[in-house]
Amino acid sequence: MTQVLLNALVVGTTYALIALGITIIFSIMKVVNFAHGQLYMIGGFVVYYFNVVFGLPFWFGLLMSFVIVGALGIAMELFLFRPVMLRVKREEVTMLLAMGTAVFLESLALIVFGEKQRGVPPIATGIVELFGARLPTGRVVVIVVAALLIVALMLFIGYTKTGRALRAMAQDRDATALQGVNLKWLSAMGFGLGTGLAGLAGGLLVAIFAVHTGAGTAVSIKAFLMIMIGGAGVLSGAILGGFVLGVLESVGYALLPGSMTFLIIFLIVIGFLIVRPHGIMGKPWG
Amino acid sequence: MSAAFSISDLSVSYGKVRAVKGISMLAGKGEIVALIGANGAGKTSILRAITGLTRPERGEIRFDGERLDGTGPDQVVARGVAMVPEGRRIFPFMSVRDNLLMGAYRRKDSAGVSADLDAILDRFPRLRERIKQQAGSLSGGEQQMVAIGRALMSKPRLLLLDEPSLGIAPIIVREIARFVTSINRDHGVGVILVEQNSRMALKLSSRAYVLETGRIALSGPSSELAANDDVRRAYLGG
Repeated sequence: MTQVLLNALVVGTTYALIALGITIIFSIMKVVNFAHGQLYMIGGFVVYYFNVVFGLPFWFGLLMSFVIVGALGIAMELFLFRPVMLRVKREEVTMLLAMGTAVFLESLALIVFGEKQRGVPPIATGIVELFGARLPTGRVVVIVVAALLIVALMLFIGYTKTGRALRAMAQDRDATALQGVNLKWLSAMGFGLGTGLAGLAGGLLVAIFAVHTGAGTAVSIKAFLMIMIGGAGVLSGAILGGFVLGVLESVGYALLPGSMTFLIIFLIVIGFLIVRPHGIMGKPWG
Repeated sequence: MSAAFSISDLSVSYGKVRAVKGISMLAGKGEIVALIGANGAGKTSILRAITGLTRPERGEIRFDGERLDGTGPDQVVARGVAMVPEGRRIFPFMSVRDNLLMGAYRRKDSAGVSADLDAILDRFPRLRERIKQQAGSLSGGEQQMVAIGRALMSKPRLLLLDEPSLGIAPIIVREIARFVTSINRDHGVGVILVEQNSRMALKLSSRAYVLETGRIALSGPSSELAANDDVRRAYLGG
């Protein structure tokens, strides 16, 4: 069982990164970014290209997964979401736009990266013994790095001027503009931060699991599940949702035949949402 | 009078509805000017146009020789104009401290920012007691103090106040009125005061404009307007 829980920790920390990214975008733009999983997948390929194809260090590739996928997010905000949101107010429109973007990115990735599964050489060798369970060192490194990234993000949001402005913008856009904040710049930045986190998560997990161009859809759905569990728009809820899904998934895969796990997880989430529609940490009013 | 602030021939429309129909107004350096009128007369639209939240259809807005129109809210703040919006619009899920610090977003002088934060907390001791509390949990009057404090944290030379007395206990309205007078007197901050509480607005201001359906119906020294029979009947309740 310890083994299962340690696995849950690996999955949970990276899921938390994914959920944090989608939550930042949701809270500042009120957009559910259904392309989040595809951006995660691209992050994985960025690391593969820098590490395996160009022969550069894994960690440089990881940095680039944040930079490149973040830049992609800024471009999405500037050229897709902003022009559309200026013209229409209905929320379904941005959801459809996000889904369309997901399909577009996935098709583009298939053309550019091909259909092959790609992985990187192990980032660390050896095995660590923890509480009587054995975990490859590489996985321990992934947990530690993901946890550090989460802490860094929370510090950035909680204690820097830009983080404070992002929180303000999530609560009241006009009032934020009245404090002298350039909203155009900040929304693009926030969107880029959110997608950059998807890129980081994908880049980090490629050290453990191989990535392929179809990997995004499942991640998008899982990201959506996580924020439904944790509570949409709340950062602490996103972290919690990531861990809850990580634990459910790991325990499920250990005890049940593979295809049953997500069937049961969906049933649990549906049941849970009937009881608590705004998630664990979410506020009833949004 | 040297007009530090001027609006000329301003029109604001929302779709086909014209909310402001070619108004002009002036405010001297460090003057308190009131803008009174019924609901829907266009008062808030004028303030939104000044701050850049709404793009005017036509007209020119100038402050200290610089054009404000066509720049956007962040540039208006950078040019020394701050607004306390109607309904306060504080950030409810942020601490009082973070709310106040948001007002200093554009400032780089961290020593000056903490000194000003201290000065505001000295002026409103209730806020100091609640500095770590979420601003949304405060009373209406306390929230108004946060909103005014937040606006002052940008060190403005012109302060726009939109209905500061709306929905607030009379005792706090008096405290806020005293505060506005004191920052105007001690720091030379000009004030444009939009109020439905015309009695208070005319008492605080040196000059006033009376707005009716998007046009300026009357203007002049506040004491004269307060004595004007039409104004008394329409806005001061007889």
